[in-house]
Amino acid sequence: MTSSSTQSRKVLSKIAQNRLQKELAEWQLNPPPGLKHKITDNLQRWVIDVSGAPGTLYANETYQLQVDFPEHYPMEAPQVIFVPPAPLHPHIYSNGHICLDILYDSWSPAMTVNSICISILSMLSSSTSKQRPPDNDRYVKNCRNGRSPKETRWWFHDDKA
Amino acid sequence: MSPAAALSAVAKQAELLRQDGNNCFKKSRFGAAIDAYTEAIALCPNIPIYWTNRALCHMKKDNWERVEEDCRKAILLANGSVKAHYMLGLALLQRTEYKEGVKELEKALDLGRGANPKGYMVEEIWQELAKARYLLWEQESSHRSWELQTLKEACDEALKEQHIMDSSKLEGFINEADVGLMNQLKALEGVFRKAAEQDIPSEVPDYLCCRITLDIFRDPVITPSGVTYERGVLLDHLEKVGKFDPITREPLDESQLIPNFAIKEAVQAYLDDHGWAYRTD
Repeated sequence: MTSSSTQSRKVLSKIAQNRLQKELAEWQLNPPPGLKHKITDNLQRWVIDVSGAPGTLYANETYQLQVDFPEHYPMEAPQVIFVPPAPLHPHIYSNGHICLDILYDSWSPAMTVNSICISILSMLSSSTSKQRPPDNDRYVKNCRNGRSPKETRWWFHDDKA
Repeated sequence: MSPAAALSAVAKQAELLRQDGNNCFKKSRFGAAIDAYTEAIALCPNIPIYWTNRALCHMKKDNWERVEEDCRKAILLANGSVKAHYMLGLALLQRTEYKEGVKELEKALDLGRGANPKGYMVEEIWQELAKARYLLWEQESSHRSWELQTLKEACDEALKEQHIMDSSKLEGFINEADVGLMNQLKALEGVFRKAAEQDIPSEVPDYLCCRITLDIFRDPVITPSGVTYERGVLLDHLEKVGKFDPITREPLDESQLIPNFAIKEAVQAYLDDHGWAYRTD
């Protein structure tokens, strides 16, 4: 079975490096509210602390997002997962995989880490119930061996939660 | 043998010599390649590619004078040769003729974009051009900053001297005169700071940057949605991600892209005033 997370990762292309450096500089200059990125030497993996917005089901809770960039970012979406324990949410699986169209079929190179994180934060904020997706157990079982969520065939039948 | 047949036999012989040269070049035998191209040139001196190929070998051997000679010859034969203008530009930069060198690289870039906007040559030429422009800015800005500093010191001195002269006449108003001098010196400081502002590296305004590269535009194109992107990455997007406008998600085809000359001119005007923005790393 192929698995992108166990394959040796390719180094970032020149375009990807340039772009990530710009995103990083912008992030440092204008850090988005509710999000904290500990800057490391590793440009290819960002780990971001996400704090639930006040007045929502996730207030006072903090989760970690792990963002891995492919060689040809931004022509390809980054892989974005929650580091377990993942927030209880109808579109977030217990292994940290997130069902959000912009991370897969609806990716556009005009999106940035910043805009992805804001989408995820607003997905948390608009949630009305803390529960796992109905197919959580089946999905997580299928993902053993460290399969990437980018290899999943997602169907985004419910975009409103 | 008829004259025409003899001519074509000569041309064939020259072509064979060029192929010999190319083979030597591939094996990094640059001296041998130069000999082959020289023979080809002796047979057919009007074929520009023989000259540019030989120039490339001279470049590999760091023989920049010969690079310049061969490129100038090639340009006389074919003014539209990207490689000739490119290598001539590099040769001029080598002998620190920055302004002329930059001009040649710009010409090469324009020609290269016309031929193949996504080609490796275009990226390579841009890198060299940006490097040279940045160097030029470093030189000019340090000269400007030295000039301003000298002028400011002279102005400071003049104000202080005048103050001493005035205060010897206006006995009893010393305090007011002191405050006046302080204010003048402060205002002068402000004027000079303003004058140096353009040479202080800061952020390129967002409206001059592509929303995909996040970098200052080089070859901007506008879509029917009215959004401007860097041509190279937008073509990449249309090919690899999908046929839609990355921001508005409206359907988009390569044939709908139009060069955005206004933005291109705005970028050039900005770069002319803020040479530090040529920094590529």
